[in-house]
Amino acid sequence: MQVIVDGLLTNYSREGKGKIVIILHGWGDDLRSWRFVSESLSKTYQVILLDLPGFGGTQSPNSPWGLSDYASFIAAFLRKLDVNDLYAVIGHSNGGAIAIRGCADAELKPEKLVLISSAGLRGEYNGRIKAMRMVTKAGRAITSPLPKSVKQKLRKQVYKSIGSDMLVAEHLQDTFKKIVTDDVRDDATRIQVPTLLLYGAQDEQTPPYYGQTFKDLIRDSRLILYSKSGHFLQIDRPTEIIKAIREFIS
Amino acid sequence: MDTVAVIFGGRSAEHDVSIVTAISSIIKPLELTRRYKVEAVYISKDGAWYWGEELKHISLFSTGKITDYIRKTNPVSVQLDGGMTLIKSSGIAGRKTARKIDLVFPSMHGTYGEDGALMGLLDLAGIPYVGCGVSASAVAMNKLLSKQIVSACGMPTTKYLSLTKNELEQNPAQAVKSVIGTLKFPLFIKPVHLGSSIGITKAENESELRNGLEVAAHYDDTVIVEEAVTNLIEVTLPVMGNDQPVAALLEKPLTKSEDFFDFDTKYLGQGKGGKKTSTGKRGSQGYSEVPAKLPKDLYARAESMGLSVYKALGCSGIARVDMLIDAKTEKIYFNEVNPLPGSLYAHNWRAAGYSNVDLVEKLIVYAKERYMQRKSLATSFNTNFLQQF
Repeated sequence: MQVIVDGLLTNYSREGKGKIVIILHGWGDDLRSWRFVSESLSKTYQVILLDLPGFGGTQSPNSPWGLSDYASFIAAFLRKLDVNDLYAVIGHSNGGAIAIRGCADAELKPEKLVLISSAGLRGEYNGRIKAMRMVTKAGRAITSPLPKSVKQKLRKQVYKSIGSDMLVAEHLQDTFKKIVTDDVRDDATRIQVPTLLLYGAQDEQTPPYYGQTFKDLIRDSRLILYSKSGHFLQIDRPTEIIKAIREFIS
Repeated sequence: MDTVAVIFGGRSAEHDVSIVTAISSIIKPLELTRRYKVEAVYISKDGAWYWGEELKHISLFSTGKITDYIRKTNPVSVQLDGGMTLIKSSGIAGRKTARKIDLVFPSMHGTYGEDGALMGLLDLAGIPYVGCGVSASAVAMNKLLSKQIVSACGMPTTKYLSLTKNELEQNPAQAVKSVIGTLKFPLFIKPVHLGSSIGITKAENESELRNGLEVAAHYDDTVIVEEAVTNLIEVTLPVMGNDQPVAALLEKPLTKSEDFFDFDTKYLGQGKGGKKTSTGKRGSQGYSEVPAKLPKDLYARAESMGLSVYKALGCSGIARVDMLIDAKTEKIYFNEVNPLPGSLYAHNWRAAGYSNVDLVEKLIVYAKERYMQRKSLATSFNTNFLQQF
């Protein structure tokens, strides 16, 4: 289904009946990877999935957005759907960082919050970011005489090899730069609602200590770590995370 | 050996669907005939034309390599020289490759293609082409005009109301009020010109109606709102031919009654019945019952109405007529006509006894037949008008 929110054509799905749960996907992802979780939860809840601006079937923002812009957009989206009582927010990776910002700023007012492999801690990457900037600057100088198509290809390979999501959504590079420098530690301390934190022990993008840090910052929170699991728990541990979410929000 | 240009892609919301139709249902079967030299002509989303052998492979598009291809390749020129010639510059010492086209097989869905725009260019070029002509394409792709014509020919349509984008923007509250005052929920809100169910919303209440109107107006300058048919059986009838069209089989999509056959169901396969794709998703083919299991009399009436609609709109070559049936009253309503059905509805024609190869060959015969008919019409009229100056 589609709806126009703040001038952007927005793709979403809404299924089930009961208390309302919204799922926010991560960077470079879209609502499709959460269908399995949504189908299961929609047996007892009304589950809303949406493609965040710039991903899936939703139009891209017209200017670079930060986490606050995404959080405001979700609030506007829910108003458009006449959702007044939001029961739970489930956020994965960047969707988790957006959820933290949204809840801290009271743009989103759920009764429960579930953060899965949530991003949002930025400081400890300072050294890595500096190194990445130096590598890209040097790369730009070395490859300047090459044709545009070759440069583009090399750039993609370099970003991929250093584990950066910069070119996962090429059209959102400026938004990406804004988001990866936006830390949500302070926001986390302002979260008042019970929060469940789910992390994969082998997650390299948002390592388990992210979960521990958020657990220390969010007053009423509990953390579950899944062994032999990476960043995408909805793929690695779908049944387990559905069970944990159900137990937590019921 | 005739050279057939298959033109696909284009500046349309249905760009991607058109690529699949072209490669799987037109180019491959045409090459299997070994009777035509097939040229793939791709129109990018920004309207530039490209021509090349690489464009015949779906992997170029499915892997996203088309972006690199476009970056590296010069767009093609089209020369209208009493016919149509494609001219490609190799970029080496100004060398050019030219190919004279004998016939065009349009594989364009939606705007600037299926709506008659491409057909106008081909008529101007004086070249035969497959499918409906300019006026039938333009009328069929306009859900409002086609309803008005079908209705004027005495065939039933569902109750509807149209609104312009301007009306919706100037006074949205009044627009909603006028719809609610005229029509009963549930309602379907549609952009007048788009196909493949893009921009369509089913509204059960005022809030959904308001949102649906905004979405449809995002895609089009005119929006149509239709009353839903109760006890709905949705059927579709592929038809081909010129003056004496033939029907394939009446087909019934097997969606749940509370759903409608939206873009995802048709092309991305979200559900249970379809055939699994390589990604584990299910396609739309398994969603249909072919032929539709209907009482004999009802089937015959729907088939007859489909053929009458095809003729009333002046279709030629190929089209697909969608109808809605109230299962209780057995009343049949015209819904819409699709002048270039996605993938030519080859699965249905196959069930009706025409292989994909038979289908494309027949369509080429119809294209030539209509071209000869049009060619025989007088296009000049001798007068002394200029001599007075």
